[in-house]
Amino acid sequence: MILEVKCVDYSYRSQKGKQVLRQVSASFEEQTFYAVTGASGAGKTTFLSLLAGLDVPVSGTICYDGQDIGKKGLDQHRKRHVSLVFQNYNLIDYLTTEENVRLGGSARPQELLQEVGIPEEAWKRNVLQLSGGQQQRVAIARALASDAKVLLADEPTGNLDEVTSAEIIGLLKKTAHQLGKCVIVVTHSRQLAEAADQVIEMKDGRLRVMEPPR
Amino acid sequence: MNLFQMAWRCVIRKPVKSVLLLLMISVISLLLLSGMASQQASVATQDKTRQAIGAGLLLEHNEQNRYKRTVEICERIGENTEGSLEGVHQKRIQTAYGPAWQSWTDNSFETLRLQDVKTIASVPGVSDYNLTTSVFAVNPVGFSRIEDPDVDQSSDLLGVSLVGNKDMKLDANVLSGNLSLKSGRMVRPNDQNTCVISAELARKNHLSLGDSLAFNDYHDPKNAKTYKSEIIGIYQVKQKMAPFMSGDTFRSENVVFTDLRFPEKAAGDEDDPLFEKAYFQVGNVDDYDQVKEAVKDLDLDWERYDLIDNNGNMDTMSSNFNDLQKISTLLVGIVAIVSFVILLLIFVFWLKNRTQEMGVLFAIGTSKWKIIGQILLEALMIGAIALLVSFALSPAASKITADYLVQQQVQQAEEAKLLDEGNVATGGSQESQQSVVAVHAAVTKNMLLVDGLGVTFLITLSVLTAGSLLLRRGPRNLLYEMN
Repeated sequence: MILEVKCVDYSYRSQKGKQVLRQVSASFEEQTFYAVTGASGAGKTTFLSLLAGLDVPVSGTICYDGQDIGKKGLDQHRKRHVSLVFQNYNLIDYLTTEENVRLGGSARPQELLQEVGIPEEAWKRNVLQLSGGQQQRVAIARALASDAKVLLADEPTGNLDEVTSAEIIGLLKKTAHQLGKCVIVVTHSRQLAEAADQVIEMKDGRLRVMEPPR
Repeated sequence: MNLFQMAWRCVIRKPVKSVLLLLMISVISLLLLSGMASQQASVATQDKTRQAIGAGLLLEHNEQNRYKRTVEICERIGENTEGSLEGVHQKRIQTAYGPAWQSWTDNSFETLRLQDVKTIASVPGVSDYNLTTSVFAVNPVGFSRIEDPDVDQSSDLLGVSLVGNKDMKLDANVLSGNLSLKSGRMVRPNDQNTCVISAELARKNHLSLGDSLAFNDYHDPKNAKTYKSEIIGIYQVKQKMAPFMSGDTFRSENVVFTDLRFPEKAAGDEDDPLFEKAYFQVGNVDDYDQVKEAVKDLDLDWERYDLIDNNGNMDTMSSNFNDLQKISTLLVGIVAIVSFVILLLIFVFWLKNRTQEMGVLFAIGTSKWKIIGQILLEALMIGAIALLVSFALSPAASKITADYLVQQQVQQAEEAKLLDEGNVATGGSQESQQSVVAVHAAVTKNMLLVDGLGVTFLITLSVLTAGSLLLRRGPRNLLYEMN
């Protein structure tokens, strides 16, 4: 078990204390591809933010490799233990493709770019000159560059067409199964949920583990 | 990639933002440099009078210390003691209410001491000097004065004014360029019983050079001894001399310039002169400050006197130029405050536009201070180039700013002069005309250093403030905004 969520409560300070997560507990393994689904506003992104150390729960703990991430430092947690992929890619617009990947911490950005299928002629180009699918691939390459054992993705196929989505899903599966990472994806996409090893549904602030739809 | 590499790439690959910030910092730096240069600018004013006759010092009786000196001398004479000392007299008198003590002064108390004047005149660097008497009202004997036909003369002294000069060419009216000779010559040091009269007085009485004018004490014109004075010159003025007192006795046309010791005789005060002003001409204008200090160091009873620059009593451009430093300091202060506000707004705007980037950096574990550090590094890189640009342009900009400030001062002085025209008495002397001949606003190495440090401080403060304002929202909020 690489990541464990224990009795986590979360409420928004800005929305009159509206409770988003109630006594949520879950555990995540390496080499597994998880999909977190649920209706809009169910708290999926909040859950992902807590796992990423971008926010802190009101109560409860989140442990990485058995240690409370809050005690070890959230900056360090984000830097070493998790990597993030977003719906709108979030690449640095003044860097080239290769430089964006290097930002993740890797000394071998070209290998990673090759792995995610970015053609060589695009490596030195400004990243904004790439297509949406290519940009998401670069984002995944950047996430892989960090050597983190957990990859968190928030609607990674949300802006992509079906064909490109399938390619990205394949890449995420490969990341989990071949690179041995724990991949947790927040999604509305049935296509992506179908590809997951495990689906966690979020409803009324609680988690429910389900079988992947087939 | 380290901070420097990230910052450099951002600066180079976002040229529009970088150039705009560069221009803004250059302008701020230039304004600060110009302000500092103007602070130090040596404004060379040209006093046309000084140019014509050289620099000079004016010695006058100190009016403020008069009472203090009187009391001190009375104390030295002794309480309830009759006596006289240094021109102060104390006497017991009988009044309707019983005995009382009266004290008064004579001319020897008020006058500039001849010995003191000669001591100052002997200071190296003083090339010439003049003594001018107070204005003496005397009775004209055998000639008519100029009168205003519409004015009731019953309250007037019905006299004319005598002003004695050791050397009339150094009289304040002559030095200022207001008075010039129409014919004849001016009074010289060794002249006796000579006078220079106004063209109006000469015309009215059909007088010409070589004629004589007679005067006596106006208090008792019938019995007082009459003194004659030969007309050696006839003068004209550009503007009427400001009267010493009201009444036609003191009107400009009735002022008669005489040799130094004539007025006291004609006024019935023979051997009791009243020297009001002494003017000391400094031969070499460059030695002016040195000579002034040497005069100040003389062992004289300075309580009696005021030592004034030859234009020190003129509240015109000179005093306005002295304000240049204050205005420049104010300029530097305002520029610094406004610059901070502008830079803060720029960086807040800049950082808000980079929320996504900051969110990404947060997401990959970059700390808040490292993110602010990168922004600061970018700003300092642009700032360094901007400083070089402003340093290159600063000599020209400083000159323009200093010229502008001086121009404003000149304009203000001229406007004030226009407002005061006709309302301000000039004490018998005319203001000299002044103009700016050069403004030296040099930018020194020290200024460049101060400017560099100041701009760096402003940039750092602005980035830290803007960064703290934005990044206190935390990574989660940035992430929400980002997505």
